[in-house]
Amino acid sequence: MSMTRSELQDAAAKAFDGDLPPDAAQSWTLITDMGWLMMAVPEDQGGLGLGREAVGVIHQALGRTLVAGPTIAQMLVIEALSGTAQDELLGRAMAGEVMTASLADGLTAMPDADRASHLLFIEPERIALLPTQGRGLTARATWDKTRRLFDVDAGEQQGIVLARGEAAVALGNRLSALRSLALAADSLGGADAALRMTIDYLETRRQFGRPLALFQALKHRVADMKTALVAAEALFWARADDPDADAISMGAMKAHAAGVYRLIAEEAIQLHGGIGLTMEHPCHLFLKRATLNAALGGDADHWEEAAGRRMLAA
Amino acid sequence: MSDALDGLRQEVREWLAVHAPKDWRAHSTSEAAFLAMQRSWFATLVKGGYAMPHWPEGWPGGGRSLAEQKVIYEEFARADTPRLLLSFMSTYHAASTLFEWGSAEQQQRYIPRILEGEIWCQGFSEPGAGSDLAALRTRAERKGDVYVVNGQKLWSTMGQFADQCLLLVRTSNEGVKQAGLTYLLLDLKAPGVTARPIHQIHGDEEFAEIFLDNVEIPVANRLGEEGQGWAVAQSTLSSERGLTLLELSARMRGAMWRIADMIRTQRRADDAGILRDLGKLASKIDATCAVADQFLANRIAGLELVGDASIVKLAYSRTLRDFTALGLRIGGLDAQYHAPITFGGGMETGNWMADFMNSYAWTIAGGSDEVQRNIIAERLLGMPREPKSWTVKESAA
Repeated sequence: MSMTRSELQDAAAKAFDGDLPPDAAQSWTLITDMGWLMMAVPEDQGGLGLGREAVGVIHQALGRTLVAGPTIAQMLVIEALSGTAQDELLGRAMAGEVMTASLADGLTAMPDADRASHLLFIEPERIALLPTQGRGLTARATWDKTRRLFDVDAGEQQGIVLARGEAAVALGNRLSALRSLALAADSLGGADAALRMTIDYLETRRQFGRPLALFQALKHRVADMKTALVAAEALFWARADDPDADAISMGAMKAHAAGVYRLIAEEAIQLHGGIGLTMEHPCHLFLKRATLNAALGGDADHWEEAAGRRMLAA
Repeated sequence: MSDALDGLRQEVREWLAVHAPKDWRAHSTSEAAFLAMQRSWFATLVKGGYAMPHWPEGWPGGGRSLAEQKVIYEEFARADTPRLLLSFMSTYHAASTLFEWGSAEQQQRYIPRILEGEIWCQGFSEPGAGSDLAALRTRAERKGDVYVVNGQKLWSTMGQFADQCLLLVRTSNEGVKQAGLTYLLLDLKAPGVTARPIHQIHGDEEFAEIFLDNVEIPVANRLGEEGQGWAVAQSTLSSERGLTLLELSARMRGAMWRIADMIRTQRRADDAGILRDLGKLASKIDATCAVADQFLANRIAGLELVGDASIVKLAYSRTLRDFTALGLRIGGLDAQYHAPITFGGGMETGNWMADFMNSYAWTIAGGSDEVQRNIIAERLLGMPREPKSWTVKESAA
């Protein structure tokens, strides 16, 4: 590892510290210019070889300021390409040519498909990269305006097959684990930002002649949020550092992280009072992204049931 | 470094394979059996050199780094050995306070006796001084070369079995309440001392109340100066270095099979609702283990922040409540039929109603959840502290 986690974190935090959320086009330029798309890719394939450590830091930073764009989907495509001989496509994807992938199942929930040259089509025994051109796209506006999702018509299946059979199953599991890791990171970054924003507000807002932060009933809720967040972050890094963590254990971890994000985003609105109900205040952006993150990539019901089933089988 | 730790792990594992008590819960059906097992396991650990890895270099079994202690505790949890409940206060609270504040003469007098099995308890809390410890009122008056002590102490862990007591008393009412406290070492066999067990809601008796009636304590048994008791007490309260919660979290993780077994026996392994609750709890327990692990790693690296320990304790206590509550729920009516408890069986014995009630020990004792939340909000997150004073308006009547 050439960079420590905290160095990565410092660099990532400096990149996005302005508007909430920052401009989408500028964000994408920044992400590609800083080489974030190549950070997780092994060095012998032109990447920086920083693996899951980098995925965690980058997506926490993107989640913290609610950065728009297809970064999670792009990283899935890059992961799928990096195990193949498709060096030319891999190079283009790492350089920022948008290629997208589903954040759910099949050809749904594909971020920024309207500006993607290719899309990743994951089927149980076949994973292929298809050109987007000529395919029907349906924009699916979500409540969360920081993401732009599309449904894509299957149409012609001509494309580059990246894996078949058992290799496709293995790659599919790897992609599922990576997607969970990225969504969990995004959730923890957002949760951290929403919690900080809430504490700042409680310290500033005065009622009954004193700052709200003096009220113990509110402090205790903040302490519970902080405890849930720190524990979820510790679980995140434990799983990120565990080479044996597979799709189910990453999925269960993502469910936990998204649950904590949702808890904190809900509390953020409640503790902001009236201003938290307005479009002009960013509170609602966190709540919307939190609930979307919980629904993407398999929800808590799915992953927790899978984890429970595996535990019983052991 | 990590090779040395792996070596230690192997060494501890091999030692435990030979020496760890087998089936100890099945035998711990009475208080007498519990005490006998605790004493013999402690003696075995002393002989093996694993009872006090946290003691300073030069004392038997001491001089282990925090990283080494972590390895030892992880292996104890893995082997599911009995926890050292009876001698915990002796090896941690008493010893650490004596190492920091005791004179050479006091250390030579007390420390070797801890190795021989002398039991210490802590006399801090009182009926009117729980979370607000500094409000304690047990009074010590100096008469020549003794203090004469009167008052009542509460929640002394294993106090009814103890030989010695770390006693925090009031020697002055001048100034702020912390400034009037003094720290004494009390021989519980002294005239005027009465220790009575407290009956807990699940039937065990792990705590005592101690009554002090004109008890004479030699001035030579004072730690620190008169009026310095609060500072000495901080050493006692911080003597445990995060290993206990690491060990307890690992034990909770290791006990998940008890819930899984019930689900299988009840033929509910295809009940999606139950599976989800199990999976959700597993993540929460894993997060608790991870946060305890991270805390210790930060402590080893010198990166610990004030308030971090409160996060670990609050995460553990809430998760333990969830764990025992799920066991109790799945246990159903069977868990409501009274079953004899396992004395000193730990937090997860599979006697679910008892375990559930016992989990309150962790949300109340050692700084309640509410105190931990105050510490997290005020000291870790820097939110403003409660105003120091308040008044009750006289009622009109």
